[in-house]
Amino acid sequence: MDEKRITRKQFSAAILVSLLSPLLRLLPQAAVDLAGRTAWMGALPALIPLGALSLLLAGFRRHLRPGEGMGGLLRRWLGPVAGRIVLVLFAGWFLFYGGFILRSGAERLVSTIYPSSGQDLFLLVTVGLCLAVSLGTMRAAARMAVIMQAVLVGALILALGLSLPNMDAAFLGPIGREDALAAVPGALPFASVCAVSACFSFLEGYVQPAKGRWRSLGTVLPLLALGAAVCLAVVCVFGPALAGTLTYPFFVMIRGISLWALVPRIEAVVITIWVGADFMLVTMLLRCAHEALRPVFSLPDPERSALGSLRDGRFLLWLEAGAVLGCSFLFDLPPWQLKLWSDRYIPLLSDCLLYGGFTLLWLVTIPRRKNKQTTHRKG
Amino acid sequence: MRRALVILYVCLLPLLGGCSFSLAADRHDVERLLLIQTMGLDSWENGIEMSVSSGLGPEDAPALVMSTPATGIEDAIARLQNYSPENQLFYAHVQYLLLGEEAARRELANVIAWVDRSPTLRMDTDMLVVRGLARDAVVDTSGQATDITQRLASMDRQARSMGWTIYSLRQAAAALAEGDGALCLAVETVPTDGKVFTDQSQTDAVVPSGYAMLDRDGLVGFLDPEQSLAAEMIVGNPTGLLITVSGDTLEILDCSARIEGQFGPDGAPVGVHLRCKVRAGVLETAPGQAPAGEALDQALAETTGAWIAGAVAEAQRAGCDCLGLRRAVLSDAGDMAAWGGAWREIFPTLSVTVTVDGRVERSYDLAE
Repeated sequence: MDEKRITRKQFSAAILVSLLSPLLRLLPQAAVDLAGRTAWMGALPALIPLGALSLLLAGFRRHLRPGEGMGGLLRRWLGPVAGRIVLVLFAGWFLFYGGFILRSGAERLVSTIYPSSGQDLFLLVTVGLCLAVSLGTMRAAARMAVIMQAVLVGALILALGLSLPNMDAAFLGPIGREDALAAVPGALPFASVCAVSACFSFLEGYVQPAKGRWRSLGTVLPLLALGAAVCLAVVCVFGPALAGTLTYPFFVMIRGISLWALVPRIEAVVITIWVGADFMLVTMLLRCAHEALRPVFSLPDPERSALGSLRDGRFLLWLEAGAVLGCSFLFDLPPWQLKLWSDRYIPLLSDCLLYGGFTLLWLVTIPRRKNKQTTHRKG
Repeated sequence: MRRALVILYVCLLPLLGGCSFSLAADRHDVERLLLIQTMGLDSWENGIEMSVSSGLGPEDAPALVMSTPATGIEDAIARLQNYSPENQLFYAHVQYLLLGEEAARRELANVIAWVDRSPTLRMDTDMLVVRGLARDAVVDTSGQATDITQRLASMDRQARSMGWTIYSLRQAAAALAEGDGALCLAVETVPTDGKVFTDQSQTDAVVPSGYAMLDRDGLVGFLDPEQSLAAEMIVGNPTGLLITVSGDTLEILDCSARIEGQFGPDGAPVGVHLRCKVRAGVLETAPGQAPAGEALDQALAETTGAWIAGAVAEAQRAGCDCLGLRRAVLSDAGDMAAWGGAWREIFPTLSVTVTVDGRVERSYDLAE
């Protein structure tokens, strides 16, 4: 199993690339709407809930057996009935969320670059690609994530750099004690976006063991820094009031950049690159859903079989891809309704499940852990 | 299986491109693509009128200039496409957005919202207010050898070197969203009859004519050219600006403004103090007159001081804080609670003290 494991660095790259999608969709507008010109400072208070989540996940991780993910652990701890119910709930959320990401990515790409086209073609192509990658090994997906991390973060830094001439630091204004307090609500979207990294704990079985309790927090630190930089740039370009009302301020911002006034309108390239982040997140959610369902049906590791094989429960990945596609059709909504889901319902559901769900599971399993420790000591 | 999947995807991926066999409905035939470079909007009682110019074509082919009344911007775009079936009109590279006076008064908020929602226009498109109709500026300035885009590009270079700024739609929208006013370069068309003798088409020229003052409700007034230059001294650094003082032509080398809140003994705000430092160089002296010493410094301070006071008074009269006084005071004093809430109400009657420190560099005078 060890040779199949990916490194922590590759795992962090997969998380970073995947979370860049919700980061740019949700973060600038929501954070600016909540915290105004101090939105970028929201990354600091967000460290508190994310630190707590990191400790919680480290607590779960400590009890993992070699090659076991969160799915296997919950199945062991909660028993066959409750464990299965919880895991199906998690898998359902991963597929539902994957469907939403698929739709919102297609909507952003199509409305920006192909305004006269339908989204169905893009949904089909993306879900096909995600399925192809999730049928492969985690090592291949992780190597791809490392390459995509360089491309996406490079594109983001380039976009921010080219936006510098449009920035006006006066929009940031003087920052006093009251302003620092005003930044606290801005931590909500930061904490919400970065908490999605907790989903990836279902893939722990494929990753080299983590050292330290703060490992999960360390993984999202670069994401917090990028998020703060994006908020800062958006506030300096549009001012807090305008940035809080624009639909996707980051993508409107990159509409105005050009390569040294020689090549205008490079947003199509940047937005197309961003499909990579949606693709990575949906792929990872497919694998997470599979890892959640494997203990439910007592299925073996899917990487044991060939790519085209349907044995060892690999047919389930096809069904999961179909479910993601089906969920994406549920979100065939007018843009304003999709935005409402993106800004309110999805973060709320995600936070309830990830912060609330994991905390509840930790509390519920305390007696079992204590019992196990007592048995251990007696033994 | 892996190879089969790879081959399948490689075969399918070209269907997503922009070629004629692509499945995407947005493919653009490059040969038919006509880039619209200037867009003008006027507002009428029952709708808008949109005028567009494509800019001069290859080998100086005349620009395509069209205008149509419509119920809205999207309707106008559809109508203009019908008038030019041989071309595919493409609005992604619009450089200049011209708003007629009425459109600036009534449609500004709609235009900003449309640009945010539409993937075509950039928020950073340069925006200008036309004194009169935008249609006249687009249509009357275009001929066989020139068009509005070429004229605006020429004016743009000249205006920037003279210390004017052409503000973008984004800059105006950001200021308006903050609750402040915004400045926007105003232009007017002037006939070239009797002035230009080589241009056979005799089209009108476009010249800057001060700044328009925009409030969140739209256009609220204009600053005359001197007041506009003074406004630029407050909000920017109009280096290269030429002014005539006591018969001498001076070039502004550097200009900085500092705005401070004035507070009474009880800590309540009582007014604003606007301090401006202007440094200029002598470019041309009046015939038979050597550049004066301190008297010229004094004259520079008095002239620019009067312009600045005039610009502030005009902005207050219009109730439009387009000079960024609120932002400057807030960032300086930091007392948000005292100023923020009622700024719109107190601004028109706010006491503003203007102090200008003028200094003229002595140079280039061979007689000395």
